[in-house]
Amino acid sequence: MAAALRVLDVTKTYARSDMPALAPTSFEVQPGEFVSLVGPSGCGKSTLLGMIAGLLAPDTGIVEALGEPVTGPGDGRAIVFQDAALFPWLTLERNVEYGLRAHGMPKAERREKVADALRMVHLDHVAGKHPYELSGGMRQRASIARALVLEPQILLMDEPFSALDAQTRVVLQDEVQRIWLETQPAVVFVTHNLIEAAFLSDTVHLLSSSPGRIIKTYDIDIPRPRDESDPALLDLRHDMLERLRAEVDDAARRRAETAEVTA
Amino acid sequence: MSTGVTDPTTAAAPSQRTGDRVRAIAWQVVRKGWFIALLIFLWWLVTAAGWVDPYKLPSPGTVFSTLGTLFTERALLDDLGATLLRLVEGWAIGVAAGVFLGILTGGTAFLEDGIRPVIAGLQSVPTIAFLPLAILWFGFNGTAVLVITAFGTFKPMAIATYGAMHQVNPTLMMAGRAMGARGLFLQRTLIFPAIVPNLVTGLKMSWAFAWRALMAAEIVVTGAQGLGGVLELGREIGAIDVVMAVIIVILVVGLVTEQLLFTRLERWVNRRWGLEGAR
Repeated sequence: MAAALRVLDVTKTYARSDMPALAPTSFEVQPGEFVSLVGPSGCGKSTLLGMIAGLLAPDTGIVEALGEPVTGPGDGRAIVFQDAALFPWLTLERNVEYGLRAHGMPKAERREKVADALRMVHLDHVAGKHPYELSGGMRQRASIARALVLEPQILLMDEPFSALDAQTRVVLQDEVQRIWLETQPAVVFVTHNLIEAAFLSDTVHLLSSSPGRIIKTYDIDIPRPRDESDPALLDLRHDMLERLRAEVDDAARRRAETAEVTA
Repeated sequence: MSTGVTDPTTAAAPSQRTGDRVRAIAWQVVRKGWFIALLIFLWWLVTAAGWVDPYKLPSPGTVFSTLGTLFTERALLDDLGATLLRLVEGWAIGVAAGVFLGILTGGTAFLEDGIRPVIAGLQSVPTIAFLPLAILWFGFNGTAVLVITAFGTFKPMAIATYGAMHQVNPTLMMAGRAMGARGLFLQRTLIFPAIVPNLVTGLKMSWAFAWRALMAAEIVVTGAQGLGGVLELGREIGAIDVVMAVIIVILVVGLVTEQLLFTRLERWVNRRWGLEGAR
């Protein structure tokens, strides 16, 4: 089966920085696979997601989505942002409808799909409310509905829960697991939360910074639905932490050595 | 903001609530009115004591009775109506032109680089300086005044609009583009609504500019009916009470539009756009 998403040797260096934000990085996502990119800030995980979304161009390398090279935002890919990014002047319903309108779908069809999507995230009772009337968790659900309504084959999520409190976060993680099991898109999920990545994913790519790169890949075959307190997840988290710590020590040692050389 | 919002926690017996409310409103009147009352008192004191010549500063009583006479005998209401009509017309034209040019330049770097400095330069010139040109082109009449009013509105409105275009939240833009919004659809459904709160501020500001330009122009172009003409007439015949009466009318119009129209509009938009508490 052809990969839903193929990332081939992409790199990115931002202006005013001599260290690449992302060293040559490659990975694939199969149809229906849940893949997480996890690591500390500055590891290039959000950069990577931006390039997959087509909102950011790689300096070198190529991203292929559904067999086509990515040149911009496109069909089949939908994205959920960290701060929900709902349009404040529209009701939830109109927010969820927006992408369908942009695609020129007739009104009757739109209405049905919007209702389905809102039901999926349990927001059908507040469809007519504006974002400012809702909690952060509800807003993030709405932004998930807004992505799902486009029936994406690839769903991109950029730290979707990092602005939420711990309880809401746990509830939404369960929701995402359920929704993914029901709709089965390929998912690329960016987070700095190790346990969240392990809980949700088939595959976790652990990234490190300076330069940003994948340092280890975990395949997780714990059967679903999973439980957040599964000891196997805690073991995984422990291993990832060890890896990251070793990385940090390494980097510190390298920096110390360079400092000596230049001194 | 200190309006008479009833606090649900103080919801006791209805009669007591009404009493509280009356007291709250009375307190508001005192808080906001004491300085005005003091000014009028001092004004009265100065004139009643005979410290200034009445032809330089007439007493409050004289001014208010002149105000009454102006409305009944000189049909000041017609002048006020003519002025307000011109104001609304000129302002509306200026707003439409300013928003149009602002969106055009704000969305196209090439246009912006060329046009923006020109408008910024024009804005540094008081609008009334263009009145001689307007008179030359459109005649010594209401049209020249209207054009000046529209021009005075246009500049700040254009500046506010393209300023707003640059402040559209980049995440919202990314979200819109990621959902497939492009070109005109993106402009109409994302950029335009996103700049509405800033446009409202622009509307308020440009209204003040329009008002100033209009008054200045009306004082010069006296042929046309309007408050400015009455002001100038008062000066010509040395009737300073007429001048002051008209100033009071202008002041009241300004306060009423500011408080009733723009402040409410702003509050509504800020609420609706989820900006409440962010200011």
